[in-house]
Amino acid sequence: MTQRHSTRGAWLIMLASLITIAICVYDYYTPETGLIGTGGVVTVAGAGALMLAASLTLGLVPNRSGFLQGFLVVSILLDIIGSSVAGYFLESPVIMAAQALALIGWLINVIGDAAERSVEIDEVEDED
Amino acid sequence: MKIRNFVLGACGLAAAAAAVTLAPLQHATAQGPNNDPAQTWDAFGGNQQSQKYSTATQITPDNVKGLKIAWEMHTGDVSSGAHSTTWGATPLFANNTVYTGTPKYNIFAVEPDTGKMKWKYAASGANGPEENQGLKNRGVAYWAASSPTAGACQKMVYIGTMTGELHGVDADSGKPCAGFGKNGVVDVNAWATKNSKWKIGLIQPPAVYKDTLILGWAGNDWVYKTENPGTVYGIDARTGALKWTFNIIPPEMQDQTGTANVWAGISVDPETGLAFLPTSSPSPNYYGGDRLTEMPYATATVAVNAETGEVKWARQLVHHDIWDVDINSAPTLVDIKKDGQVIPALIQANKMGLMIVLNRNTGEPIWPIVERAYPASDIQGEVASKTQPFVPYPEPLVAEHMPPVSTLADIASFGECSRWKARIRDEGRYTPPSVRGSISWPATLGGVEWGGGALDPTTNTYVVNSNLVPQIYSLVPRADADKKYGNALRARDGYAAQQGSAYGFKLENFLNMWGMPCWAPPYGIMSSYDMNSGKLLWRKPVGQVQKWGFYMPESWGSITIGGPAVTKSGLIFIGASMDSRVRAIDLKTGNVLWKHIVDAPAVAQPAVYTYKGKQYVVFAAGGNGILTPRLSDQLVAFALPN
Repeated sequence: MTQRHSTRGAWLIMLASLITIAICVYDYYTPETGLIGTGGVVTVAGAGALMLAASLTLGLVPNRSGFLQGFLVVSILLDIIGSSVAGYFLESPVIMAAQALALIGWLINVIGDAAERSVEIDEVEDED
Repeated sequence: MKIRNFVLGACGLAAAAAAVTLAPLQHATAQGPNNDPAQTWDAFGGNQQSQKYSTATQITPDNVKGLKIAWEMHTGDVSSGAHSTTWGATPLFANNTVYTGTPKYNIFAVEPDTGKMKWKYAASGANGPEENQGLKNRGVAYWAASSPTAGACQKMVYIGTMTGELHGVDADSGKPCAGFGKNGVVDVNAWATKNSKWKIGLIQPPAVYKDTLILGWAGNDWVYKTENPGTVYGIDARTGALKWTFNIIPPEMQDQTGTANVWAGISVDPETGLAFLPTSSPSPNYYGGDRLTEMPYATATVAVNAETGEVKWARQLVHHDIWDVDINSAPTLVDIKKDGQVIPALIQANKMGLMIVLNRNTGEPIWPIVERAYPASDIQGEVASKTQPFVPYPEPLVAEHMPPVSTLADIASFGECSRWKARIRDEGRYTPPSVRGSISWPATLGGVEWGGGALDPTTNTYVVNSNLVPQIYSLVPRADADKKYGNALRARDGYAAQQGSAYGFKLENFLNMWGMPCWAPPYGIMSSYDMNSGKLLWRKPVGQVQKWGFYMPESWGSITIGGPAVTKSGLIFIGASMDSRVRAIDLKTGNVLWKHIVDAPAVAQPAVYTYKGKQYVVFAAGGNGILTPRLSDQLVAFALPN
């Protein structure tokens, strides 16, 4: 069963994932970064692409099932944690900053969604 | 840190594959804008004494953070795969020019303040098959005539090839010197005819003393029992004529063994004219049953007269070497000040991680060398030496036994590391190779690698980087080797044939299924000693392991290849590590003060020079496949902004 879920914060997550992909592409091709041609930045870029897809779904498909909502929220959080750890070991402050941005977007979405749920419950209770 | 280590293990990311007594001024003169000849860098080891020391003081511990790239150039001489390059050149600064050689046998002469190319010399015809050890180069040598005459070639630059050619080029124009050999080329390979299995490789530039070049060569001593016997050549720097030959292998042994060659740098005492030769192990490297006769010049430091080749003294540092623990770096010359006396000495840090300090005029130890008992071989026909030289003081760079198995690597591999260690032979330093496999600690990677150490002769502070890497040595009975490998001389699993002997050999890195080191870190350290007292001043991990782009903790250090340079202002400059970073380290404390990413590991020592009042630090970032696959052709100079 689909319900309307919050789209708030999705665009911030999308922006963070685009930054992540962009910096990974730059790192992959730039000798001065020390990360040229490395598997680590390819992995993070892949994680960024998954986060981009998830955030697009979050932003463009407001009517989604509870399962999908839960899946997206958990996946994005795991993506943020994994990319942050990878960014730390890649010694890439940009990747870590992008994940902080994504985390803010994630929090906005989760809190916003909880608020919407709360309003919906209140409305149902009022109707009763 | 625990969390960090856990994450590392879980991700399977961790891996390590892994003067004040100055050079003789007749060779160090650089007229013109540079008024201080001491701030040249005209030899592989910085000066003839291999001190890797600069009197430059412009860059200090206080301002080194401001260091920026002053210039960089790319030689174009880099390739990977089957024809991969290994570039460990230390650039030279002499004749108001920066000179470097490349692994494709080109010499580049560049302007010291801009990196703009002055001229390029291509050692034509030498880009042939890598029948010896691939495309390798450690730079060039520079000579200036002690009694210049009219005409060209009073100053020359030399480059060797892996096909045994030594090229001599005019330092001003880059034109071949017609009077040197045949049209500027000496075919050194033509002198090495005994048991010639391959062309000798002139990786290391010759040492220069007055008008004599002292030249060793690199071999391929894992594949045959009898190979080219180690020889060192004294060559007329002007004409290329052979002046003398020093044979490391006694003539009566040359049909049973070979190599023991000098493939690393050579130091020279400009006052006495003694050249100090670090010699390597005889072939085949890991089974000595066919060469049990004593060969006192093998795996030794040998002092010879630089102009005649006559041996003054020799000190064997490993008896009957069956571990390939070559003496692999030029000894650093030091005048030790002790009890009001000045003792002419040399420091020979070696692959076994010992700090051997000898009187350089006599070969007698400054601090005692004791003969310590070590385990016997269990291989039929092999007789490991009952004792080996050991130096308890100054404190060794490597402990007597390898570190414990890494808990992280062991858990990540479901106990693979501890199971492996339990079934192989491990009796500490000098455990002989065996059929079931033996831990070699330290192993062929050192201890100390060919970069050696550096000395501040004003304080007699000596610094040296070293590796903490066990490897597994297995002998393969000939019948088994023939069955599995046929006539192959080498195989990708670490096998080397040692053809003609009773055993093949297999070298394995002690890594788990994820490529994680099976032993506890650190993997690479830097140590500092007061050479007047022999006291260890500090010891710290150096560099960082980098795998798939991920940097491991600094406390783990890195395997390093290449050495440091020190400056009078109290800085150590070093590349050498796996993470493709170059660093400035505080000489007093060992703290890293500055680091910068370059294109590949700078596996050589940097050069430090001053030109037009500005101090430069130059690194050749060439890489080395032993450390990482990342290779480059970048020559990069750093300086403070104007």
